[in-house]
Amino acid sequence: MNAQGVAAAFAVGLLLAIVLYVAVVSYNAVMSLRQRIDKAWSNIDVVLKQRHDQLPALVSAVRGVMAFEQDVLTEVARARANYSPTEPIPDQAVHSDETTRAVRSLFAVVEAYPEVKSNENVLDLQAQIERLESMIADRRELYNDQVYRYNARITTLPTNLLAPLFGWQQRPFFAARPEELERPATDL
Amino acid sequence: MPIDWQPQGIFLALAGLGVGLWLLARGLADYREATRIGDTSTSRIATLAAGEVQVSGVIEPAELTLISPLQSATCVYYRSTIDGADDGIDLRADLTELGADFFEERAVGFRVRDETGDIRVFPRAARWDAPTTLDDSTGLMGDEPPGLRIRTGPALAPTGLGRDVAIAALLAGPEAAPDFRPLLILGGGAHRGIGGGDGRRHYRETTLAPGDAVTILGRAMPFGDLADPAEADIAIGSELAPDDAEVAGDIAEAREAGLLAATPEAAWGNASIPGFGIGQPIRAPVLDPGATAPPLGTAAQASEAQRRFEIPPDALVLASAPDSPLLIAQGLPSAAVERREGHFLLGLLGAILAIASAMALAMIVSGALGS
Repeated sequence: MNAQGVAAAFAVGLLLAIVLYVAVVSYNAVMSLRQRIDKAWSNIDVVLKQRHDQLPALVSAVRGVMAFEQDVLTEVARARANYSPTEPIPDQAVHSDETTRAVRSLFAVVEAYPEVKSNENVLDLQAQIERLESMIADRRELYNDQVYRYNARITTLPTNLLAPLFGWQQRPFFAARPEELERPATDL
Repeated sequence: MPIDWQPQGIFLALAGLGVGLWLLARGLADYREATRIGDTSTSRIATLAAGEVQVSGVIEPAELTLISPLQSATCVYYRSTIDGADDGIDLRADLTELGADFFEERAVGFRVRDETGDIRVFPRAARWDAPTTLDDSTGLMGDEPPGLRIRTGPALAPTGLGRDVAIAALLAGPEAAPDFRPLLILGGGAHRGIGGGDGRRHYRETTLAPGDAVTILGRAMPFGDLADPAEADIAIGSELAPDDAEVAGDIAEAREAGLLAATPEAAWGNASIPGFGIGQPIRAPVLDPGATAPPLGTAAQASEAQRRFEIPPDALVLASAPDSPLLIAQGLPSAAVERREGHFLLGLLGAILAIASAMALAMIVSGALGS
């Protein structure tokens, strides 16, 4: 091979090396994103479980005094019972939102009972659950952001060229499916 | 008589090939890093979970800050070089320390704060992407650049405790430059500089200072999991590791021989009192009766000093792990990604340069251009 042939081979080799490098980086990036999504989901799952474990203690602490607020307490118990860590993520999102709404209603009702509000045990439980609710909200945002980045990556160049080869599918957000979102009834 | 330009042509082609490949290598490395930063969501510090995380916030000093050598600026990281101004190609950024007359890079631990809280950063083994705050040369008449303010004191400074101290520092103007030419000590005057030649020098300094916005990508771990917090805190420091067999052997030998003090008090005396030398000691030191007793810190100052120096073992901190060094980059994540993408595009241009240079070299060698 003459010198010009060597130079041409060098050029082709360099271009192939760049393409291969970009492909390997893209593949590794998708693998890392999947790991991050799984980790972000595990972090949510831990907090959902903690909230699930804490709610009975809160309901027990306020049940005696709030005998006339059975609807609110029943709603919290019903929402809590729907928790199932094996459900698909969008279904868990629906049930998590229901639990959050029920807990907020309970906290609102507690405001009307000074004897409950002044109970240190209740205050402590309320603070813990509020902290967990805040963590769920923050970690949900982080998870959804990570899923967004993953979905965006596997649908844009150059990674979308690799997606069919490796069977990469879009991941679901931790949010209710659009068809499950209830529209509030309005009567104008 | 035809000019024999083959040697120059070969030299230029080889230089083009080298520079092109170097640009390409840097661009590809930055492409990978841009992907890593861009694919990691930014966590809120208050709800941070252990593991690989990315946080973005503002730098706050921890126990100590650094004073940069060229601007005397208070910072948590600096990288400074002084070089001859007219010594050929200036490769800038990554390679300025090669052949520099003066090169120094240091960092200390700091805190980073976002809207939800703050976290301690231990920058040992971190990779830094800091802005250039000084990039200037000596003038033709030998006059030094206006931003140059050579450090004349120690490189480390204690961090003032409390808001009042911070406000006072902000309101105070820069100290008057002393009538002292440290560059003479380094080896040169205005016309006989350390850069050699005609004495002109090029000063370059990158710093990250309290108040700067940064993006940090790395591992959040409980403070108790750090092998050695003292080592983890210093980014560029002693390379002696306590787990090194030889160092551990020396320490054990010294301990057996009774050469090591049993307690910090025995070793350092009053300097072992928390707050001593940094702010105010939180208990009365035993002083020479003739000496003036320093004022004791208030309870609030004591608790602030405690908070700064004593980190609970389960508190999350950011530190390098063996498989994932910290990346500390100036600005928001999007800005850090943008800079790296720019380098990637430059790297692709470098590939074109390398290919063109290889083609030219081949043509020269085969005589196609020479005849």
